[in-house]
Amino acid sequence: MDNSTNLKDHNTLFQEERYVKQAENKQQFEMPCSSEEIEKMEAYLKTDDYKAVNFNREAAAINPNKACQPLGAVLAGLGFEGTLPYVHGSQGCVAYFRSHFARHFKEPVPAVSSSMTEDGAVFGGMRNLIEGLENCQALYKPKMIAISTTCMAEVIGDDLGAFIENAKKEKVVASDFPLPYANTPSFVGSHNEGYDNMMRAILSHLSEKDNGLSYKEPSEAINIILGYDTYTGNFAEIKHILNTMNVAYTILGDHSENLNSPATGQYKYFYGGTKLVAVQQSPSAKGTILLQKYSTRKTAKYIEEKWEQPVVTTCPPIGIKATDQFVEQISDLTGVEVPQSLIAERGQVVDAYTDSQAYLHGKRVALSGDPDLLLGLISFCLEVGMEPVHIVCTNGNKNFQVEAEELLQSSPYGAESTVYVGKDLWHLRSLLLTEPVDFAIGNTNMKYATKDAGIPLVRIGFPIFDRHHMHRYPIIGYQGALNVLTTVVNTILQALDEHAPDYSFDAVR
Amino acid sequence: MKNHMINAFQEPACQHNQAQSGQQGCAPAKPGQSNGGCAFDGAQITLLPIADAAHLVHGPLACGGNSWERRGSLSSGSSLYRYGLTTDLSEQDIIFGGDDKLVKSINEIIQRFQPPAIFVYATCVTALIGVDLDAICHQASKRHAIPIIPVNSPGFSGSKNSGNRLAGQALIDYVIGTEDPPFQTPFDLNFIGEYNIAGEMWDIEDLLKQLGIRLLSRITGDSHFKEVQWAHRAKVNMVVCGRALINVARHMEDKYEIPYFEGSFYGAKQTSYSLRKIARLFGDQRLIDNVAVFTANEEKKIEQALKEARKVLKGKRALLYTGGVKSWSVISALQELGMEVVGVGISKSSQEDIVRIKDLVGEDALLIDSRGARVVLETFKKKQGDILIAGGRNIYVALKERIPFLEINQERDHAYAGYTGFRQMARHLVTALQHPVWKLAKLDPPWKE
Repeated sequence: MDNSTNLKDHNTLFQEERYVKQAENKQQFEMPCSSEEIEKMEAYLKTDDYKAVNFNREAAAINPNKACQPLGAVLAGLGFEGTLPYVHGSQGCVAYFRSHFARHFKEPVPAVSSSMTEDGAVFGGMRNLIEGLENCQALYKPKMIAISTTCMAEVIGDDLGAFIENAKKEKVVASDFPLPYANTPSFVGSHNEGYDNMMRAILSHLSEKDNGLSYKEPSEAINIILGYDTYTGNFAEIKHILNTMNVAYTILGDHSENLNSPATGQYKYFYGGTKLVAVQQSPSAKGTILLQKYSTRKTAKYIEEKWEQPVVTTCPPIGIKATDQFVEQISDLTGVEVPQSLIAERGQVVDAYTDSQAYLHGKRVALSGDPDLLLGLISFCLEVGMEPVHIVCTNGNKNFQVEAEELLQSSPYGAESTVYVGKDLWHLRSLLLTEPVDFAIGNTNMKYATKDAGIPLVRIGFPIFDRHHMHRYPIIGYQGALNVLTTVVNTILQALDEHAPDYSFDAVR
Repeated sequence: MKNHMINAFQEPACQHNQAQSGQQGCAPAKPGQSNGGCAFDGAQITLLPIADAAHLVHGPLACGGNSWERRGSLSSGSSLYRYGLTTDLSEQDIIFGGDDKLVKSINEIIQRFQPPAIFVYATCVTALIGVDLDAICHQASKRHAIPIIPVNSPGFSGSKNSGNRLAGQALIDYVIGTEDPPFQTPFDLNFIGEYNIAGEMWDIEDLLKQLGIRLLSRITGDSHFKEVQWAHRAKVNMVVCGRALINVARHMEDKYEIPYFEGSFYGAKQTSYSLRKIARLFGDQRLIDNVAVFTANEEKKIEQALKEARKVLKGKRALLYTGGVKSWSVISALQELGMEVVGVGISKSSQEDIVRIKDLVGEDALLIDSRGARVVLETFKKKQGDILIAGGRNIYVALKERIPFLEINQERDHAYAGYTGFRQMARHLVTALQHPVWKLAKLDPPWKE
């Protein structure tokens, strides 16, 4: 092999003197500022004056921290057996979604587009939709196709229901082939709403027949919906808890198998997901627990009204208190007692909390991400004595703000918190610079703001593109609490080591 | 917008536009399969590397948001291009037009960042609701006295390639020829369609410097806005990434009489060829002689350096699935290493690319004219391939099949261009093939019958 010199990549190569000089030489053509000017500007950015200017911003969004509806719809589709997510509209959107999920999960993601063009804009997208349905059945052989829309189809007002009827009339698809569909314009809401709309569409499509429900036998099982959850490990943890409690259950929308498949040497498009027949039986379950609120609003309402069963909606059980509450809800719904082994597991995590508490106490934290995730994280922060100071939620609404503030006010550790909804990561950057915190928790998008502020970022949320395998470990349930605790405390300890003078560089922390 | 489209797709130097093929522009994507990026994506790929300009996406949040900070183009100067700027149109804005929000966004961006220029990108939504991007940009430009450039490349207008070309049209219409460089040299060269992926242009720039050739304008990898404005003062243009920006090169030939050629820096042979061609187009005998000596010398050096890698790579069967210039230039690089190319994806290649591919691979290799992982994998198995060389959306499929993989598109961390890059590529091919994980992955668990 070529070992004559140490070959480098761009992380190191371009720090060599000749490249540094080359770059410096270029500066003369780039209208350079003096280093004083740059320093002055950097200092200004840390002032409250600039923060005020920044928060007065009305129009431009800078580094917003959310994705769009059809992305959520694709994830919802991937939660069901043999289901191909199909996005009706222009082609590029799906290419983005596939890249997004591939980079986060490190997995291939089957999803197709009806690839509308300018002709579609003029004449409507029906031909594209129908041709696409024909092609994708031949290519992927799915059991169900979950159709969502891009902005384009929404702006021109394509009538999905009528198009699908026509596709069936033309016998492009069999008349009993399941084709749930949802309107998911990107200019309304975020990926959370898209997930919700698609999930509701799939559940109603599969469970209803002639305006009634297709299945009537009563069942002892309960239904669980995790919401827009990008942790395959969370599914494993939920199953672990329910199996330990010996409770019969159906997870509606289980994308953990499709997004965590083994390397067997033979790629398949579909690896698992909720069985379609299981969805038919779900209306007769004892009840449904939804582990996210803001990504399942319409789904929850649908189940309550149409399936007429008890519905429990909670924020994701991150931390011990929230998990306790979740376990209690299962117990209430099923009448099953909490087994000793789960109580022991809980005790171990409590023990871990006590081991680390001294390093966590009073730590100031900034949080950003989806509303549901933030509620879970706030709850975790408060129970380990950390102070969530800045909470930025680009896709949060007023209801979320009120709920988050109530949660924060329930603890002295939340006394100094402010919740910002509809703000972006450039707002967060101002906050980090004017009112510094010890570290931040959130997704990869935040790494630029936290770098500018010189603080560590604990990666929890979606998307996480720059760290591997984090989504394989749960963040909910007792094991999840342990994982979040471990990641947080070790980040703090790492920072302590990095900044410690020699005499404080302790072997024991 | 219609006008831009017509200009871009009547480009005579592109065979896709010729009458006998019966079509205009790039082939549209087929509904119901996994297709690549859209025209908006393509426009961003081309323009975003202009690092000190502000890039404002006029549309719903996600067009910018889903692609934000996902490009491998590196900058040695400004980092403004890395900011995800968008008007974040909501339902209300769409009903009332969103013009006001765009004007305000432009004001806010100028107030905060004071960029030398702003590129404003149309999206499906703004094109469909009939936003007059040209007029708004024109007025804002007059008001703020900086170029504010409309990029009319909405997603539905076509594929990534067509977006590249529409972005090139924006450069022709609004940027090139609007400024003069502080000084000129006899050997001023432009790169067109080079995006400095993983910093690979810096390696080439270093070679050029050793030869006394100045890179006047980089279109657009690691560029600043001004240098694109004065690109028309160069003496020679080199089109680095295939056909995508051929319109820019041809425009500059027509209007400023700058000769151009298409070349690549993948592999030692292509690198030497491109350098010699540049020298010939400058027409200076001393430079021609210097380059001849220089390239001979470099090739001798690399011959030595690649000896070990060749032993491993000789006869190994590769399948290449990428687009544009890479679909032929990488073949030649692989062949230089003694590898055999048994299949090539051509769904994103131009007619010219395909002719070159056929010249290089001969009759035995399969040309794959369809998108999607399944066909690629079937071909790989049929041809008993050893390694798949492709882009990010295919990597995880290959890994499921336990196929050794080399990432060749924009997400890679490694520079493969030039002599140094070629050594890097050889080394990575060896590593990819020899990595112990492939043996482990193919091993059945001990208890299996």
